[in-house]
Amino acid sequence: DVPVLISEDIVISQPAKILNFLRKQKYNADYELSAKQGADTLAYIALLEEKLLPALLHTFWVEAENYCSVTKPWFASRIPFPLSLYLPGKMSREALNRILLTRGGPPLYSLTEVEAQIYRDAKECLNLLSKRLGTSQFFFGDTPTTLDAFVFGFLAPIYKVCFPRVQLQEHLKQLPNVCRFCDDILTCYFRLTVSGHSPAGQDTADANLQKLTQLVNKESNLIEKMDDNLRKSPQHPPRKLTMLKLAAGGEESSPLNRLSP
Amino acid sequence: AAEPWPENAALYQQLKEEQILLSDNASSLAVQAFLQMCNLPVQVVCRANAEYMSPSGKVPFIHVGNQVVSELGPIVQFVKAKGHSLSDGLDEVQKAEMKAYMELVNNMLLTAELYLQWCDDVTVEEITHLRYGSPYPWPLNRILSYQKQWEVRRKMKAIGWAGKTLEQVLEDVDQCCQALSQRLGTQPYFFNKQPTELDALVFGHLFTILTTQLTTDELSEKVKNYSNLTAFCRRIEQQYFEGHDKDSSATVAARPAKRSLLR
Repeated sequence: DVPVLISEDIVISQPAKILNFLRKQKYNADYELSAKQGADTLAYIALLEEKLLPALLHTFWVEAENYCSVTKPWFASRIPFPLSLYLPGKMSREALNRILLTRGGPPLYSLTEVEAQIYRDAKECLNLLSKRLGTSQFFFGDTPTTLDAFVFGFLAPIYKVCFPRVQLQEHLKQLPNVCRFCDDILTCYFRLTVSGHSPAGQDTADANLQKLTQLVNKESNLIEKMDDNLRKSPQHPPRKLTMLKLAAGGEESSPLNRLSP
Repeated sequence: AAEPWPENAALYQQLKEEQILLSDNASSLAVQAFLQMCNLPVQVVCRANAEYMSPSGKVPFIHVGNQVVSELGPIVQFVKAKGHSLSDGLDEVQKAEMKAYMELVNNMLLTAELYLQWCDDVTVEEITHLRYGSPYPWPLNRILSYQKQWEVRRKMKAIGWAGKTLEQVLEDVDQCCQALSQRLGTQPYFFNKQPTELDALVFGHLFTILTTQLTTDELSEKVKNYSNLTAFCRRIEQQYFEGHDKDSSATVAARPAKRSLLR
């Protein structure tokens, strides 16, 4: 069950419990809020879970094109074989189950009718959030609170992940204040540029960084060896050094020149 | 939809004394309160098979003219199409807030009621199984009851409530009541002077919880901790239910004596 917080010996799952734990450790983003604003937080979180979550689950796990081309490879790449063959399918079935049990049933009889209804509800929910946010930076003024974290958690995946079928994302992009809200939090707290990275892009960036680090390490190792050789055998300088005497540059710079790509 | 509200509009629910359960009673009372607030007369009709007559499988449903609409959300929209609305005076931000609080009640209070009456073994044995199928002969009453229990438990498992203990559920109810109490404050209604569908919904659930006798009093105690909520219920009851037609299910429970759900 994710997300999971492990602190010393304590293991906590589920967002609500994690937030409670943090609050007891005196980390509280809602300290400045009035009682009424605290109540509003609870109400809006319920709104997100009832109206937005089904469509979010559908976009990620049930919509066939999205699931097959993005979600499944993405998750499977991080899960060890052979679980990677089984777990994504299980999560997909659970998502569909949840949608049908909570939102299916008469008078909606077919999956397409249920889908139409949940996307209608999700778009209405996005509109409501936009109206509530208005022109302020965060939901309760200038400092972020728990509600901002929850809303961001729900909206950022819709906003940023590049799916083939994107009706929710397109609707979200028509609400400029909500997009600005997501971008603000991404730049302030996640230090990503506004253009962001797709998951595949981030992986290649990581790989490139790794290769570069290895290259730099190799080069510095070679330089150290060169230095050692120089110190140990001054009477018999290695061949390269005879070339050094003829070269214009100093001893220190030439090995680097020879090694640079 | 342009026809005026007829005189013979009817609201259907299960049998009041023997059959109806906590959650269905709360939903039915919410709709009744809403229609009273809109000044739309409706007659409450009790039928054992109300759930099956309903177009969505849930009670209550109203039969108006030649249309049948069930559940508070669609009923509010239907009534709005006929030209009556309680939330027209609200601005956009207030409407968003109202919808959010209605979802809070549905998400926490209604789910907690369903949990209590279908997943808590003591309550299930002593109250629910006896009441739910009571109009039907054996073995149909048992079969219907178990079938419904299986359905509700599946849903609880899908949303993650199956793993909760009764204490955790009561904690959630307390949190929800605290939020409602803080939002209400000292105002007469949630949006100050005029009641809205949110007031009707909250009244339906809280009044039912307060006046229904279960195996323990823990649930109603959670609500009683908040005096402004109990005052709110009493105020709405006095204004909209006392002195109205005797069929209204709230008048039976109007007096402080608890209406018993036990056989």
